[in-house]
Amino acid sequence: MSADTLIPEEPEAPTNRPPSMERVRSWLQRPYARKILILTVVIGFLLLPLAWLLLAAMNQTGAPASEIMKDIEQTVFVFTLVSIPITAFVFAVLVYSLIGWRQISGDEPPMQDSPAIRTNTIGVILWTVASSLLAMFLVVWGLVELAQITANSYGSISADEQPGQKSSEIINVTGQQWVWTFEYPEHNGLTSDILYLPLDRPVYFNVTSKDVIHNFWAVELGVKIDANPGAITQTGVTANKLGTFNVRCAELCGMHHAFMQTQIQVLEQDAFDSWVRESGGKKTS
Amino acid sequence: MSVDTAVETKTVFGAEVPQPPQHGAAGGVMRGLNFGTGLIGGIGLAAVAGWVTAILTPSSASNASFAPMEPTYVYLAVLLGWVVGFMLGMGAFVGPLRWVVGRDITHADAEYMAGKDLGRKRYWKYTTDHKVVGIQYLVVTLFILGFAGLLAMLIRTELGMTWTSLFTPSFYNSMIGTHGIAMIIGMIVVISGPLGNFIVPMMIGARDMAYPRLNALSVWLLVAAVPMLVSSMFMGGIQDGWSVYQPLASQAPVGMLGYQMTIIIFAISTAIASVNLMTTILTMRAKGMTWSRTPIFVYGIFAASVMGLYAFPFFQYAQILGLTDRVFSTSFFDPLNGGSVWLYENLFWLLGHPEVYVILIPSMAVALELMPVFLRKPLFSFNFAVAGIVGVVALSGLVWAHHMYMTGWAPAANYPFMLSTEMISIPVGFLVLVAIGTFWRGTAWTRLPLMAVYAVIFNKMIGGVTGVYLSDVPADQYFHGSMFVVAHFHFMLMGAGLFGAMAGIAFFFPKMTGRILDERVGSIGLWTAFIGFQITFISMFVAGLQGQPRRVLDFDDQFNLSNWISTIGAYIIGIGMLIFLSAIITSWRSGVIASSNPWGSKSLEWQTETPVPLENFPVLPVVTERPYNYGVPDPYEAELESIDEDLTEKAGTK
Amino acid sequence: MSTSTLPVSPTTGEPITTIARRARLGLWLLIVADVAGTIALVISYSYLWSLNVNGGWAPPGATLTANQTNSTLPTTPSTATFAVEWPFWAILFVVVVATALMWFGYRSARSGNHAGLMVGAGLSFLVTVAALIFQWIQMSTFPFDAGDGAYASAVLLLCASNIFHLFLLLFIGMGIFMRARKGLIDKTNWYQAQLLSYYMTWVCIAFLLGAILTTFMVESPNTDPAIFGTFKQQ
Repeated sequence: MSADTLIPEEPEAPTNRPPSMERVRSWLQRPYARKILILTVVIGFLLLPLAWLLLAAMNQTGAPASEIMKDIEQTVFVFTLVSIPITAFVFAVLVYSLIGWRQISGDEPPMQDSPAIRTNTIGVILWTVASSLLAMFLVVWGLVELAQITANSYGSISADEQPGQKSSEIINVTGQQWVWTFEYPEHNGLTSDILYLPLDRPVYFNVTSKDVIHNFWAVELGVKIDANPGAITQTGVTANKLGTFNVRCAELCGMHHAFMQTQIQVLEQDAFDSWVRESGGKKTS
Repeated sequence: MSVDTAVETKTVFGAEVPQPPQHGAAGGVMRGLNFGTGLIGGIGLAAVAGWVTAILTPSSASNASFAPMEPTYVYLAVLLGWVVGFMLGMGAFVGPLRWVVGRDITHADAEYMAGKDLGRKRYWKYTTDHKVVGIQYLVVTLFILGFAGLLAMLIRTELGMTWTSLFTPSFYNSMIGTHGIAMIIGMIVVISGPLGNFIVPMMIGARDMAYPRLNALSVWLLVAAVPMLVSSMFMGGIQDGWSVYQPLASQAPVGMLGYQMTIIIFAISTAIASVNLMTTILTMRAKGMTWSRTPIFVYGIFAASVMGLYAFPFFQYAQILGLTDRVFSTSFFDPLNGGSVWLYENLFWLLGHPEVYVILIPSMAVALELMPVFLRKPLFSFNFAVAGIVGVVALSGLVWAHHMYMTGWAPAANYPFMLSTEMISIPVGFLVLVAIGTFWRGTAWTRLPLMAVYAVIFNKMIGGVTGVYLSDVPADQYFHGSMFVVAHFHFMLMGAGLFGAMAGIAFFFPKMTGRILDERVGSIGLWTAFIGFQITFISMFVAGLQGQPRRVLDFDDQFNLSNWISTIGAYIIGIGMLIFLSAIITSWRSGVIASSNPWGSKSLEWQTETPVPLENFPVLPVVTERPYNYGVPDPYEAELESIDEDLTEKAGTK
Repeated sequence: MSTSTLPVSPTTGEPITTIARRARLGLWLLIVADVAGTIALVISYSYLWSLNVNGGWAPPGATLTANQTNSTLPTTPSTATFAVEWPFWAILFVVVVATALMWFGYRSARSGNHAGLMVGAGLSFLVTVAALIFQWIQMSTFPFDAGDGAYASAVLLLCASNIFHLFLLLFIGMGIFMRARKGLIDKTNWYQAQLLSYYMTWVCIAFLLGAILTTFMVESPNTDPAIFGTFKQQ
């Protein structure tokens, strides 16, 4: 076949370039193409349960006890789903490279070379577009969720200015080696080493430390903020589930870091009020 | 004028070559110096410095909190004395001092320093030959990694024995800190050090590095740093994790000085090595080796050098400030007196994140470098590989604060840092694309180096995807400071980094040692370690998801099961790594003698003979083609052309 | 065998032009590392200045206001003979003079004026010694100690960084002078003098940064920082 015959003689022929669908169709007819696609789908379905398994592990000590934690779990779920296809495709190529395309062993370099594919414009463009779109999706999702979580935590104070909102509670959290102290400034400076929270009311935390950096982690509530010496950090949450939850220190703070844990008790408003009364605090509202 | 103006000649490859005028006589004290005199100098000066300091310090000296300062001063003096004495004994100061007095190192001296005709003794001297430096780096790195690996075994033993405690909390904390920093140092140099020094000059067709004496300086500074790090274990230890957050580090025993001095010295070593590698790559490539003809491994090493160069000073200064806080009672990180803990975190992570890519990029680059050889096809989309590396370097300095999402230092900054962090998945994705594109339709020659690449890509995918959760602020609000983070970065640094280093060492082993790495034993080691790795760190992901904080000695019973499985996996890794190490040692001593090009590579470093002659190439090579020129014409291309032809004809007849 | 017109390195036998090109690149890269370190210092100073953690920026008992540093600082055992900020400018001036002399020496070497090189390199060395002495005097006569809060720490570390740079310049400057005396720096082989001139120029910039910081960022903008360990403001 000489190259001359490939050149169409009609001047308008270049405008009738073959549609790329035709190329894709021919690509799909190659023996490995469909196998890799099928392998991708199979591996994808094998990975699919991960989306729920991750959440199951996260919920081992109790289902989410706040909107924030629900948002976090939703994010984890969506991110897992989104990353499965691309992971499955890469794994499929790895697997097919070992079982599908020919492989040889031995001490001498192979006599026969493989096809010299230096690049593939369609493949490269597809990958770039897909990965950029994916990254854009992750960024947008993350920014929106972050704004929402910020509104849920930092926004607690402004929320009680809204008519019909229940008033918020302020709690001063102090970390020191290796205990947590919770002070309720609105209740006559009542202090406690267990965190009592009223159900369904926004709580606003001021957090600081008396010695080194600690990290105030209310696990099932999805609250986490450093307790820094010499600085006050702020966060907040609205607990929407009754029960006992965990506070752990999530920043290495010395010898007994592992034991710097305490409990969270989420109580109904009545029970919370009576706890405040019994502990000598003053009821404000 | 003492310049010797008489021109001498010398026969080089049969031609009379004029010899340069020498600025003084050859020889001198440096010819008698070696590792032994280095040890004598180091230990001697350390002892003298410590003794003098102990005498000079009044016993009443104390800091603001009334802690006696004498141990601090003495330990600092000992460490400084060790470094200066060791480098003095090695002969590191000979060159600069001779330069100052205008008596430059003569040509004969330079040949002596390059280890000419010294035999095995040259490995124990301040040798400038890049091949000797590469081997020295390899041995030191393996020692560091082995030490840190041993600590990892002890840590997992403690965590697996949930019913009792083997160690005191202080010693446990000291182990995790030392394990962390030793692994980080080891992983930073494991590819750039041995392979960067040994292979890169040959790969670009040069006779040596740009600054041979700085090359020796960088490796011996690293050697000097190792005993300082180990000594801190005996001085109360580094009880603060590898990141030694302040002000916890100020509370720590004097062992913290060992950490700070190690980092200060290691940062100097890294800066020198980076400058050396970058200058070598920029100015000494062979004739005809344009940027599009430069192998991807050279790009990877260059990128790592760039990041090491600009990022390490921040870490170094963070430690200098911490050291003055401790020794001179300054208050950079003391919040009672105006210091800020966020200052430390910022300075630390300004290194801390680029450093991750300093480890990962060379590992990916070595994987991409060896794939074409074993798949007998060109690297897929060379330009994208370069773009990926450039993109990572460009973004590496803009993402540090994603380690500080939960510190509250600037909540508004979380938005831009989340953006930049997730953007970095695009250039990293390019590198994955290049890898799978190179696998695409390749006939795999399934030797050990290539098999390790499969492990690298697999681990990198898992590490990359879990990294996406951590880069996202809401998800990080749950995962930050948990075991999930630990599992993630082990997948990146160990799963991708260390397995990549194993691939690289196995691949270049024949060139470096003249022998083939034992395929069977090496593979058993590799896959044992791989299986153990998956068991350990996947169950560690589970522990993190369940909510186990990191760096804890003890934990709730709900985490027991995942920790037991993790510990079993860790022992399997340990066994696998020991097998791999035994393959290295036995093959090095008595393996099959390798031909000069056992893999049939077309790259320059394989074209010279093995063992490599002192000047690498008898005649400097000229590069005339692109790298990775393997492969046969693609049979499908002809088919595609015929489709085009058919369609064109159809279109024509319409 | 005629002497080649291209001078070569005594150590490797490569042409000096090749060596010089390589050395210049290496120097620029080392300056990058030095810049990064200096930026770390600038970050430290300005970050602590902006936060004023626990009200600990100013030395205890002192109120820092711009341009009045000397009068408002209490005197401690070391006698306060200097204000804090103007000596930074004075030392900067001295270093600039040393740099200019070095540039003069380097340009002289390039044009074959050996006497000019000797004068430039020699005087530059002497002026650098003067700068070092000046810097040392300043550092030892501050009206505060290292333990007197963040401002004292940051200023002292800027001085320490300056002293480190000056020691480097002294060592290299001595080498350049001795080599010039031996005739190793001349019309064809001047790159080492050039490198020192470049490096000294960067050192001037580093000194300038220190002077700017200590002059324009004195009084912390944060006037009501939180009190350590409590939820109260000062």
